[in-house]
Amino acid sequence: MITFFLVLLQSGNEYNGGAVVAMVGKDCVAIASDKRFGLELLTLATDFEKIFKMNDKCYIGLAGLATDVQTLSEELKLKCDLYKLREEREITPKKFAHLVSSTLYDHRWGPYFCEPCIAGLDENNKPFICSTDLIGCINFAKDFVVCGTTARELYGICESFWEPDLGPEELFEVISQSLLNAFDRDSKSGWGAVVHIITPEKIITRHLKTRQD
Amino acid sequence: MARRYDSRTTIFSPAGRLHQVEYAMEAISHAGTALGILTKEGIVLAAEKKVTSKLLESMSSNEKIYPLNENIACAVAGITSDANILVDYARRVALSYRKTYLENIPVEVFVQRICDVKQDYTQHGGLRPFGVSFIYAGYDEKFGFQLYHSDPSGNYSGWKANCIGANSPNAHSILKQEYKEDMTLKEAKSLAIKVLSKTMDSTTLGGEKLEFATLTKKNNQIKLNSYSSKEIDALLEEEKDVINNNEEN
Amino acid sequence: MEVLLGIQGKDFVLVASDALAITSIVAMKRNHNKTRKLNDNVLLMFSGEGGDSVQFCEFIQRNVQLNGIRRGYPLSTKAAANFTRVELAESLRSRHPYQVNLLIAGCDPDTGVPELYWMDYLASLKKLPFAVQGYGQYFCNSTMDRYYRPDMNLEEAKALMKKCINELKVRFIINFSDFVFQVVDKDGIKEIKLE
Repeated sequence: MITFFLVLLQSGNEYNGGAVVAMVGKDCVAIASDKRFGLELLTLATDFEKIFKMNDKCYIGLAGLATDVQTLSEELKLKCDLYKLREEREITPKKFAHLVSSTLYDHRWGPYFCEPCIAGLDENNKPFICSTDLIGCINFAKDFVVCGTTARELYGICESFWEPDLGPEELFEVISQSLLNAFDRDSKSGWGAVVHIITPEKIITRHLKTRQD
Repeated sequence: MARRYDSRTTIFSPAGRLHQVEYAMEAISHAGTALGILTKEGIVLAAEKKVTSKLLESMSSNEKIYPLNENIACAVAGITSDANILVDYARRVALSYRKTYLENIPVEVFVQRICDVKQDYTQHGGLRPFGVSFIYAGYDEKFGFQLYHSDPSGNYSGWKANCIGANSPNAHSILKQEYKEDMTLKEAKSLAIKVLSKTMDSTTLGGEKLEFATLTKKNNQIKLNSYSSKEIDALLEEEKDVINNNEEN
Repeated sequence: MEVLLGIQGKDFVLVASDALAITSIVAMKRNHNKTRKLNDNVLLMFSGEGGDSVQFCEFIQRNVQLNGIRRGYPLSTKAAANFTRVELAESLRSRHPYQVNLLIAGCDPDTGVPELYWMDYLASLKKLPFAVQGYGQYFCNSTMDRYYRPDMNLEEAKALMKKCINELKVRFIINFSDFVFQVVDKDGIKEIKLE
C-alpha cells in the first residue's frame, strides 16, 4: 500500500493525462478540457469528459488520476445538490471553491490526485475563476487558470493569447486556440476538446475535433 | 396500570400495545392536515399550515412540503423539529444512492430506508419515537408515480390518495368517495382543495395558510412545482365553485 | 499475464476470457472461470491477484443481487458498473486495496441496449465499444480499432474476436490454450463456441 502511494505521489497526476483551462471574459467565463482517457502513453478512449456541471452558473474541470476525477466529481455533485436542497438556492462559484478546498483538504494525508479548475458566474453575474492544488490550496485569478499534464504549455500560450474584456465568441476563440495548440505539444492529452462558455443567459457547449494522434 | 408501560418506548403493555408509539400518532392527529392524491399524470401534495401570525417571519418558504430528491417530495404532519432530522437524513440517503448507482433511488427502497430509522426509535431504549408522519410523492422508471404514507411506528403503505393530521378521518371519507382511478391532475387539484376546505378549522382558505405542490413528468424530467402563496390564491380563485359548494352543504 | 476481451455489437456483447490460473511460473489450472454473473443480464469479468479478484467479485455479485431483491427488479448495467467502481475506489484508499481489473458486459432486457465497461485496479471506469484488459491491450486494441464497427452482428463480432485471439497466439509469449466465450444479450448470458 505504501508503495502504491509513493508511486502515485510521483506520477498520480500524470498517469491518465489531461488538460483543463478556464478563462475570464467580459460578463462571461469559459472552461475547456481535452477528451483523452489513457494509461500513460496508451490511449483507451477519446470521449472522456473532465468538466462537470454543478449548476447552471458553476462548472468544475478536474485533471489528474481518472479514478479520483470520477470519485471527486460525484462527491462534489452530492454536496452541491445537498446545499441546494437545504438552502433553497444554488451554490455560488466562490462558495463552491471553498467547498472544493475543504473537501480536498479532508484527504490531506492520502490526497485525491487531481487538480480542479472552477469557473462560474456569481449571484450578480460577475465572472469567477480559480484553481486549487491537490490538497485544496486555492489560487484566485482574474485572467485564466490551467491544470493537468499540459499546464506548462497552457501557461505560456494563455499568457500571450488572453486579454481583458473578451466577449463570449472572442473568448471561445481564444480558449480553443490556447488549448488546442498547447495539448498538441503534450502526448498525454488531446484527441478532441470540449468548451463551455457560461453567460448570464445561456451556456454554450461546443465539441472540437482536433488532431487524432 | 398503564403508567408502568407508558414511559418506555420499547416495552409492550400487557394488552400488547406500545403506548409511546400510540401517543406519537395521537400527536400527529392534532397537527396540520397534509394530503396526497395520485393520478396517472402526476401527484398532488397539499398541506395546512397551523401557525399563522402576521408577526411570524417565515424562515424558509416551506414548512410542510419538502423536496427530498429529483424524483421525490414529501408532506409532513407532526412535530416539525423531528421532521427536519428525518428530512435531512432522507436527502442524504437519496443523494448517496445516486452517487453510488448514478440513478435515482427507487421510491419504495427510499421509503423503507426512512422507516428503518423510525422503527429503530420504537425498539431501542431510552428514546422517544419520531412524532411525524410523512406522505411521500415519488416517481421511478419501473413503477411510475407512487404515493406512500409512513407513521411513527415505521410502518409504511402505498396509497392512491391519503391524508394525515387533524381531521384526517373526515378527509379520508371524502377522498374515498370522490377519488377516481382516471383522474386528471387538474381534477386531483380541485379534490385536494375541496378536502382541505372541508377539514380545515379556519373559515376562509388562503395562500398563507396552505402549501401546495405537484410532482409531474415533462420531457423525461421529473418536476416538483411548489406553489407560492400568490399562486395558491390564484388556484383557490379558480376553484371557487368547489369551495362555495362546500359551504352550502 | 491474463487477458479479457469484450466487443459490443448492435444488440449484444461478445466477451472472451482466458482460462489459465497462474502462480509464479506455474500454470495451476486450465479451466479457471474468470467471470461472475451479477444478474441475468450483467456479466462481470476479472483478472488480477488470485484471491483478491475472486473475493472482490463475489462480494460485488452478492451485493448486486441483494440490491435487486430489495427493490424488486435487477440493477441496470450502468448502475452495477458504478456500484462496483464505488466499492473498488473505497478499497483503493484502505490499507489493503483489491488488485483487480474488470470488464462489465450487460444488456438491458427491456430495450436490448448493450453496454460494455472497462475498469482498472485504480477504479477508473470507462464505457467503451470494445475493450481489452491485461497485456492483451498492447496486441488487440489496434486490431479492434481497424475492424470494429458499432453495428456488427454476432458472426462479424466472432470473426473479429478470432482475429484478436490469433494475434495473441502469434505474438504473445503466453500460450492460452483455452478461452471461454460468452454472449450477453437481452435473453441473458450464454457460453458459445467460436467455431
